[in-house]
Amino acid sequence: MTFSNLPIDTDRLLLRSFERADTPTVSRYHTLPGVQRYVERATRYPEEVAAAVEIMRGQTALQRPGDTLTMAMVRKGDRTLVGHVSLHWSDATAGQGEVRFVIDPAMAGNGYLSEALSALFDLAFGHFRIHRLLVRCDGRNHHSAKLMQKLGMRLEAHYREHALFQGEWDEELHFAILDREWQASTKVRPLPLRKRVA
Amino acid sequence: MALFPDYPIETARLRLRPFTRGDVDAVFAYRSLEAVALYLFDPPLSREECALAVQQRTTQVSIEDEGDRLILAVEAAGLGVVGEVSLILRSKDARQGELGWIFHPAHQGVGYASEAATALLDLAFEGGEMHRVYARCDALNMASWRLMERLGMRREAHFREHALFKGRWDEEFIYAILDREWTERRGPVHPIE
Repeated sequence: MTFSNLPIDTDRLLLRSFERADTPTVSRYHTLPGVQRYVERATRYPEEVAAAVEIMRGQTALQRPGDTLTMAMVRKGDRTLVGHVSLHWSDATAGQGEVRFVIDPAMAGNGYLSEALSALFDLAFGHFRIHRLLVRCDGRNHHSAKLMQKLGMRLEAHYREHALFQGEWDEELHFAILDREWQASTKVRPLPLRKRVA
Repeated sequence: MALFPDYPIETARLRLRPFTRGDVDAVFAYRSLEAVALYLFDPPLSREECALAVQQRTTQVSIEDEGDRLILAVEAAGLGVVGEVSLILRSKDARQGELGWIFHPAHQGVGYASEAATALLDLAFEGGEMHRVYARCDALNMASWRLMERLGMRREAHFREHALFKGRWDEEFIYAILDREWTERRGPVHPIE
């Protein structure tokens, strides 16, 4: 399942592949404590961020289970990089995918993530024929939890102290949505106005 | 947190003890049944497969490293082996354990599983110093998740269509209980004098 339709165009954003030139911008927000608190792999220093951007630059297609597609979220007007979203194809026979995302805290609260994730869900269910999408987040990460519910995802798991994360007992939420649930909840877009011919 | 229990473990009506080679027929009596295999990963087992399983189980009597498991035969007075209970160390760092049970349908509904699971939870949290113990089951396996609820476990996950299980979409529950919650339920085991 290759995919060559990048960038994806949403109302206010372009979702495109990462470029090497993105590293300084990603470094600026990805190293913030508020972002590091919830990320799975620590990227506290510019060198670690540069290595992560290199990896994300290569994540441009889903060809086999285990692959990840990562897209930078870029604001259309001023081309500001505001964060990224990714789709991981975890299981082919059961059609399972996992979505992850990070947003620059300075850009949060504008609905950019909601817009980008909607487009990514469309892509996952429509193009890649995923059956179920999973999002995991920290139990303290209320912004993410609210966003998942807004997208129509269901809370399927709430683990308490099931692991150690960054030296503390972890609390983790799993949200999920099935293909038929996403199709049903997606609003029908109005048709563009046509010129009257008669 | 190594766990080398003294056997047998005795409860009001039951003895929990390591499997021996003489248990093959008793295990075959329930593991060969379709009703028992319905919610297990394995299909019904042949007698040869049961013999192999019992042979493995004779050594699964202590827990030291991640992945180690205790699988114990559950004996009721006059009835012989009525089922089995298991405890697996899933994470050594985070002290996570997984609990499981399989009982002969003829001996279900009389509280044996509950009694044996309680003894194993005591063992997990006291001798085993585990922090959290979880159990999983198919959402359709009501007898199993009702027991988890009676044990005071909390439903932490309800997965829908997250995998294929025996050719159909799977629906799964995960229940869990923390050490402090178990201690609170059980009261002080060794009263302070």
